[in-house]
Amino acid sequence: MKPILVTGMGVVSAIGLGKAQTLEALLANRSGVGELKYLKTEHKEFPVGEVQLTDAEMRKRLDIAEDAVTTRTALMGMLALEEALADARLTQEMLPQVGFISGTTVGGMDMSEQFYLDYIHGEAHKEYIAAHDCGSCTEMTAKRFGKFAFVTTLSTACSSAANAIILGANMIRCGEADIVVVGGSECITKFHLNGFNSLMILDTQPCRPFDATRNGLNLGEGAAYLVLESEESAKKRGAKAQALLSGYGNACDAFHQTASSPDGEGAFRAMKEALELAGLQPSEIDYINAHGTGTPNNDVSESQAMKRLFGDKVPPVSSTKPFTGHTTSASGSIEAVFCILALQNGFVPVNLNWSQAMEDGVVPVSQPTKKALNHILCNAFGFGGNDSSLLLSNADFSLNRHCGLDPQSPKRQEPVFVLSAKQISIQQPLNEDWMQNAETHETRPEFQGLYFAHRGKAHGKDTETCRGHLQGSH
Amino acid sequence: MGKILKRAVATSKEAIKDAEMESVDAIITGTGYGCIENTEFFLDALSTEGEQLLKPTYFMQSTHNTISSLVAIQTKNHGYNATYAHKGVSFDSALQDAWWQFQLGKINSALVGGHDEMTETFYHILKKGGVMGMDDEKCGEAAVSVVLSRHCEESAAASRHCEEERRSNPEKSYLCKLIGFQMLHQPSQNALVDAVATLLGNHEGDRAYREEAKTLFGDKPLLRYKHLFGESFTASGLGFYVAAQCLKAGRVPASLFVDAKEIRDMQPKCILLYNRSDGKNVSLTLLEA
Repeated sequence: MKPILVTGMGVVSAIGLGKAQTLEALLANRSGVGELKYLKTEHKEFPVGEVQLTDAEMRKRLDIAEDAVTTRTALMGMLALEEALADARLTQEMLPQVGFISGTTVGGMDMSEQFYLDYIHGEAHKEYIAAHDCGSCTEMTAKRFGKFAFVTTLSTACSSAANAIILGANMIRCGEADIVVVGGSECITKFHLNGFNSLMILDTQPCRPFDATRNGLNLGEGAAYLVLESEESAKKRGAKAQALLSGYGNACDAFHQTASSPDGEGAFRAMKEALELAGLQPSEIDYINAHGTGTPNNDVSESQAMKRLFGDKVPPVSSTKPFTGHTTSASGSIEAVFCILALQNGFVPVNLNWSQAMEDGVVPVSQPTKKALNHILCNAFGFGGNDSSLLLSNADFSLNRHCGLDPQSPKRQEPVFVLSAKQISIQQPLNEDWMQNAETHETRPEFQGLYFAHRGKAHGKDTETCRGHLQGSH
Repeated sequence: MGKILKRAVATSKEAIKDAEMESVDAIITGTGYGCIENTEFFLDALSTEGEQLLKPTYFMQSTHNTISSLVAIQTKNHGYNATYAHKGVSFDSALQDAWWQFQLGKINSALVGGHDEMTETFYHILKKGGVMGMDDEKCGEAAVSVVLSRHCEESAAASRHCEEERRSNPEKSYLCKLIGFQMLHQPSQNALVDAVATLLGNHEGDRAYREEAKTLFGDKPLLRYKHLFGESFTASGLGFYVAAQCLKAGRVPASLFVDAKEIRDMQPKCILLYNRSDGKNVSLTLLEA
């Protein structure tokens, strides 16, 4: 593909607010993971990577009224987006030509988990109900800065931000937009801290990715956005490329809802696809920013995937999760910013807390390494095997490289056939006779106000059909 | 496994089977709230039992992408996999993603789904929060899966399928085209549209919709579908289904016409789906016979 320019970025995480603090912490090997301070939870035993501001402090910084409805994920998103827009010199007047794609999974859960019983039993805090969903979070973040041309939300768990970057790149390659701001935001919530704890994948010690003694992950939080831009647009407005997005891949491990396959099939495919799209050989990759969560399972799976793709010549690898904790949905864009800082400043971020090689695993970079970098793979994997990999290149990398996968004419708008369409609803379970119902009556009288697809006559058949389909599942 | 997941797997497998495909290149889902029942169970346990004895089951199947990834696991599909959760345009975003990848030549086929579930508790919460179900608006659930392809193969079964269709409609398949908002103002494009499927299902929202539709589409008959299925964040997926079915059958059921005066026997060749969601996000999908 023809590389896409990154003309701006903004980042917020446990290691700092903004690019400058982030770079300084990365170069100084200073972790932001520590004792839990802000989240109200009983689980004080887990170290976390919290953004070092309370919600109130973030509101103050952004000049948002104390009683205005907002969520921590949106607040962090605003801080990162503010920096990214300023960095790319995008003004409010330009936003109607700019897309905004954000990734999140918890959305407004930080508020819902506090007010849940009020939502059910009372009237208090009901204004937060509409702020629960992921899309609202993106809308709140976007609204502060103006009217974007296009706004949507990716939610693929821990690869959400990486997939937002991929969608933005596809938009630009199709000629649908010249500039798209992409990334993700996610705060720590009691909901997923407890969820991860119930899965027994949280470490009570600082996480140690790719180490023999690794015993789980530390949760983190933060937000980051990249400004993706076509070469023509950047040239026209004199915007400078800070780095290039030269490839990307998305594949599904299709193995288990929360575990990765032992051979890392999804990860392998995602990285391979990124290389192919960029037209690069494995030997040209200078560094891999691994997903490297520090769970026994992920690091085995990801190591296998890297070994399958790179053989015995695996490039320098590190996981930056020990710096920030696992920033879940935002990790794809936060770590993409780390990679760009590494490209710009010629260093490989250290895999902190590593001391002993794991069996069959990669040996990560554990000492500060100054090195000129041209191409970096940045991995982000999510529950359900939603694996994505981004290929970021030095801004000096020739823009004239074209890979065979680019369309001849980006705006050819070929029609697509709809081969089949199926639905299950109150009208009819899984067949097409809804038309009969539509001719004769509007609604069935027993359903006042709420249509359950599963109730009434539909119930038996629906459940049966579903069961038939689910046989043989594991 | 929650009902949203069962329905997603069932509609997906049926759609793939019906399309006579072995597998698809991409699985893309739109879901406004994801697996809300499991989310509710976990939140409920968290709020009433505290943080010490939580079991992982509900959490594991509470994220939005559980749907797309479960379909991938069940159909052993390693292809592109993504999930969109953006209010009333969640399904439309999924469709858009597939569309762009088709245009880039990245994929030749895609399974696009729109799935949302509803519970009694959640319904009352949404109503209280003014999100859905106010006034006379009926809330519902959505479970739609469609298979899109760049090619329409002439296999034995496909032609049998065509024959069935030929009784009512000479076309062997129908096309889907997503158009830009500006194209609406091009008379030639607009003239092709036989009907516009739209509307929210509540008086307040519908009034705005109708006024806007009148300005944009002139005398084109307006169709609705939410009175049949109810409102949900992925109801637009059902709109896509309804439009596709009307084109395939070559007729439009009477109760779909918004204005009783417009009810007519029509063999639609082109239906425009107009989704203005909550007024912020506008999505247009053009389906042709």
